[in-house]
Amino acid sequence: MREVLERSRIADPSLAEAGEQRIAWVARHAPVLNRLARERLADGALAGRRVAVVLHLEAKTAYLATILADAGATVVAAGSNPGSTQDAVCAALVRRGIEVHAVHDAPPDEFDADLLAVAATGPELVVDDGAELTRRMLDHRPEAFARLQGVAEETTTGVRRLRAIDAAGKLGFPAILSNDAWSKHLYDNRYGTGQTAIGAILRLTNLAAAGRNVCVIGYGFVGKGVARYAEGAGARVTVVEVDPVPALEAHMDGHRVAAAADALPDADVVITATGIVESLGAAHFELLKDRVLLANAGHHDREIDVPALERLAGPGEEVRPGVTRYTLPDGRRLHVLVSGHLVNIAGADGHPVEIMDLSFSVQALAVHLLAQGTLAPGLHRLPPELDREIARTKLATLGVELDDLSPTQREFTTQWTA
Amino acid sequence: MDGVIADASLAPAGERKIDWAQTYMPVLNLVRERLVEDGSVRGRRIAVILPVEPKTAYLSAMLAEAGAEVSLAFQGVMVADDVAAGLAARGVAVFAKAGSTHEEELSFFEQVLARRPEVVIDDRADVIRLAHTTHPQVLETLVGASEETTSGVTALRAMEADGTLKVPCIAANDARCKYLFDNRYGSGQSTVMALLDRTNLLMAGKRFVLVGYGWVGKGIARRARGVGARVVVCEVDPFAALEAYHDGFEVLPVEQACADADFVMTATGVRGALPLAAIERLPDGAVLGNAGGIDDEFDMVALRERAVEARTAREHVEEFVLPSGRSIFVVGEGVVVNLSAGEGHPAEIMDLTFAVQALSARYLLQHGRELEPRVHLLPAEIDEQIARMKLETLGLEIGALTEEQERFRRSWEAFA
Repeated sequence: MREVLERSRIADPSLAEAGEQRIAWVARHAPVLNRLARERLADGALAGRRVAVVLHLEAKTAYLATILADAGATVVAAGSNPGSTQDAVCAALVRRGIEVHAVHDAPPDEFDADLLAVAATGPELVVDDGAELTRRMLDHRPEAFARLQGVAEETTTGVRRLRAIDAAGKLGFPAILSNDAWSKHLYDNRYGTGQTAIGAILRLTNLAAAGRNVCVIGYGFVGKGVARYAEGAGARVTVVEVDPVPALEAHMDGHRVAAAADALPDADVVITATGIVESLGAAHFELLKDRVLLANAGHHDREIDVPALERLAGPGEEVRPGVTRYTLPDGRRLHVLVSGHLVNIAGADGHPVEIMDLSFSVQALAVHLLAQGTLAPGLHRLPPELDREIARTKLATLGVELDDLSPTQREFTTQWTA
Repeated sequence: MDGVIADASLAPAGERKIDWAQTYMPVLNLVRERLVEDGSVRGRRIAVILPVEPKTAYLSAMLAEAGAEVSLAFQGVMVADDVAAGLAARGVAVFAKAGSTHEEELSFFEQVLARRPEVVIDDRADVIRLAHTTHPQVLETLVGASEETTSGVTALRAMEADGTLKVPCIAANDARCKYLFDNRYGSGQSTVMALLDRTNLLMAGKRFVLVGYGWVGKGIARRARGVGARVVVCEVDPFAALEAYHDGFEVLPVEQACADADFVMTATGVRGALPLAAIERLPDGAVLGNAGGIDDEFDMVALRERAVEARTAREHVEEFVLPSGRSIFVVGEGVVVNLSAGEGHPAEIMDLTFAVQALSARYLLQHGRELEPRVHLLPAEIDEQIARMKLETLGLEIGALTEEQERFRRSWEAFA
């Protein structure tokens, strides 16, 4: 424990008890990890393997790290975003014997150093978020990168980055796009982010959703969830998209669809969910009305271009915890939530436990598969049979049984004749 | 300034919170301007008995800024110490601190009563009842009271019925600008959000049992459905039960509903609405909370006695292990959950509620001496003025009846 603490960089080891309490709550509400993942990982495939876990470091992630460690892996953890790192959880992980390099609100240079410290431990397998560790290793630690045996990626943004690394011919190991598993993106991105992003915005502001105009920029799975929960809270939703297919989906889902120039002027709340920088940038701030709330539910901290806003309005003033007011020269007040960081993670407790039970079961099985060394270098999906197994286990823990196709039906599905 | 608060140095943080609420309370800002101009509360003594959070603070502060001598007290479970300090800095005598004992609270209320308020803005009729029982001398100078909650109004009506009530009371709760919005949209949003916030659990697909389908229950059912829950309603009133049915919710007796509940919320205003027998039927891991106006809508004392073990599971979440081995998690100690484990109703909703309260206080100060010692409604035209002010601040315009339509509405002859 002392040795692990010496190798780690965390804020305050004395916070461990509070972190333990949070992890215990997660353990109680993670039936799929407890049943399926623990069972599969018990075969010794991870024994002695060095696994780096780079995710938003809070209680749910900590429980995944614990499960990997319990399966015999040597786990090193770092945060994927300093804004979301919870120091109490880091302390609990260290007490559980896991090396951690993460401090809440660390400045960018320290954050980079933490990730490179993880790279220096020579991980064989990585559970990554936004490919934050993988791309840094490629850029700054090519030798350690060359020794990687597999990466399991959590987010839409990270999947995009891994595709780019692969397209550049630099992916010398198998990578599982965990985000693309059904058990992940159908639930985590939609219900998880949807519920918690809207909840966080309402909590941070103590304002009402009823009757409010909420503008959602981006209608991927995250945008869909955010729009749905905003509607459920009584808001009128407008969707801004650049892709005609999701734009049409938004229309059919009953939302107003409009270009930013039309959508922004009457918005009371604007939520970005694009994974792309400057989704709300200098050109947009002019369109917004007084007292608007701006929040980011996407992956990228720069979806709201806060530096551009500061150039227009000068430094902001924190008017409530997590709410910064920028006053434009004409007197309009724009309120940015948690500095444009992910609002549900930096402004609240992250996704609901039960959702992360599914997402991290995907990650656990992905790491387990990678550890077996059977996958060729390149990009992979989680095999559908494992994906289905996760969904089936979740249903079983809910006490839900499914029907089977009858033999006639099964035969029908394989026929091609008229 | 007199008063008892926890820590005056917290004032800057509290003042920022009050400022934020004020930004989103445009109707109350208009009412303040009116009170400043007409001098109707200037020099008058007003006692405010409401949870100490930013919105109530702004109500108290604006009355003080309009010249009233305002004092405020409340039970510690719903007191934000920074807001109390911020309010004291704005000229209100505050008697409230988080975690206060029952004895302290009684003394806080007594100190407020000792200031001989002319109007009391009360919550759950607590202080009006004190004035009618143990502190009758207060009634000599009390012009009237205005009551915030459904449960308080029920108590006042009972006092009126048995001839106990000695001062006119306005059922502020029964103003349309109050119960249609505060009880429904305010409680609905903030109750469901407080539950999710404190548990970090998912609502999608969960069985959400709601005991009570009054305005608060209606709002909660709607918002719980909005976050993906399957809602079951338990009622004792046949009309409310039929409404729930027609709103598309399952209706079941409470013990049956509890047998497979993931979440249970009470919203009845009735003590013991959820009996221990029903709680004992809950499945392992069920989450229980109260959104109603009474602290003991479910019997926390009996639950605590019955439990073989109790521990803190998360902040504001307590675990009770029952003899069956099942764990039940209680959010917010059984006290109204959006205030005990959250920040209360949204500011824009309280904008309406507190416009009702401020204008009720003004009405009592102007006309209280002419009113019978009964429970009164806020005059309908004042209620309507508030709604029109809110629409105006939202930039919404509405139509008006034409003369012809107006004539039709007043006529009674067939085919007139």
